[in-house]
Amino acid sequence: MHRRGVGAGAIAKKKLAEAKYKERGTVLAEDQLAQMSKQLDMFKSNLEEFASKHKQEIRKNPEFRVQFQDMCATIGVDPLASGKGFWSEMLGVGDFYYELGVQIIEVCLALKHRNGGLITLEELRQQVLKGRGKFAQDVSQDDLLRAIKKLKALGSGFGIIPVGGTYLIQSVPAELNMDHTVVLQLAEKNGYVTVSDIKASLKWETERARQVLEHLLKEGLAWLDLQAPGEAHYWLPALFTDLYSQEITAEEAREALP
Amino acid sequence: MAMSFEWPWQYRFPPFFTLQPNVDTRQKQLAAWCSLVLSFCRLHKQSSMTVMEAQESPLFNNVKLQPHQCPSLNFKPGKLPVESIQVVLEELRKKGNLEWLDKNKSSFLIMWRRPEEWGKLIYQWVSRSGQNNSVFTLYELTNGDDTENEEFHGLDEATLLRALQALQQEHKAEIITVSDGRGVKFF
Repeated sequence: MHRRGVGAGAIAKKKLAEAKYKERGTVLAEDQLAQMSKQLDMFKSNLEEFASKHKQEIRKNPEFRVQFQDMCATIGVDPLASGKGFWSEMLGVGDFYYELGVQIIEVCLALKHRNGGLITLEELRQQVLKGRGKFAQDVSQDDLLRAIKKLKALGSGFGIIPVGGTYLIQSVPAELNMDHTVVLQLAEKNGYVTVSDIKASLKWETERARQVLEHLLKEGLAWLDLQAPGEAHYWLPALFTDLYSQEITAEEAREALP
Repeated sequence: MAMSFEWPWQYRFPPFFTLQPNVDTRQKQLAAWCSLVLSFCRLHKQSSMTVMEAQESPLFNNVKLQPHQCPSLNFKPGKLPVESIQVVLEELRKKGNLEWLDKNKSSFLIMWRRPEEWGKLIYQWVSRSGQNNSVFTLYELTNGDDTENEEFHGLDEATLLRALQALQQEHKAEIITVSDGRGVKFF
């Protein structure tokens, strides 16, 4: 079959050009790779040097940890990615978050009797600090969030719910959908919520509001108060600020043991 | 008359004074109430009470939760309604910590340790001090010098009697009459 302008010669030329192009492409790619590799090596050794110099700092200083984590994120490194390996061995960063994760689970287990498995990030922090004792390093909210995200990734049933500028940590896999979450956020302000509050803020029908509140009662996350002025109030132990730093009782500690 | 009693967190939690509709939550609530009643009575060395007293006691009334004026409310906040108090008392009775003193259920004996538990402690002391087959008056047991360091020292007579009755059932003791009252022989 003949086409205008295409002959054996043209094909051969094309093939040669393609080959040359390919070769050049390969050379280019190899070059780039070599360069990138060198850069990464440099990054890595700088980071190693940095890490060894600041290992103590990392363990002791929460702010420093945040900055270190941010830096790792920038170059695409997750210090918590694997249990073994450079990061956990060199820095003990993995150990730090692993231990924290265990402490978080212990506190949540001990308190779920009270709050149904829902706790504010700040109360969690205070309880974890108490458990760590007088001489332990400080632990920040950021540390807790990272440890919890790790726990989530391991499939432990943990959830993080943003409310009013902070977070509620869910440690029991209660079924909470968007409606429930939004009501939790509303309740955060006063520690309780009413059907009227929900209707006024969220513009829902009475029935929808009631169903959500019933669900929270059923999950043990809310208690009913029939003595409040006007209408029933639904209080969440998790948001009851008087509870903060309340001693974990011996009974509750026993609940935490597997 | 609050003394240095440490109220549990639930006492300041308004819904604590509403009997919870959710079964699991109610169980936790009742357990907390029972615990509170027993610690309160233990601290105040109160071994018996009437229901009327209970209703007015700080035990079932957290005045701090009660605003100064609430004319339109059926009950006051922070005040456990009497029907709910009855539920708590029944729970304590089932656990063996409470005994009604009259048919009308208007007054009750409250024992922070169950009679069987007291009986066990007393019998242990008797055995340890090698006094099996001895006779004691009730007074000696609870107020004698010998028992000064024992937990049952100062125990009220009603509870003591029940403790000894429990031992009697186990054939470890026998309540007898002595010259000026009652006594007990241990085996």
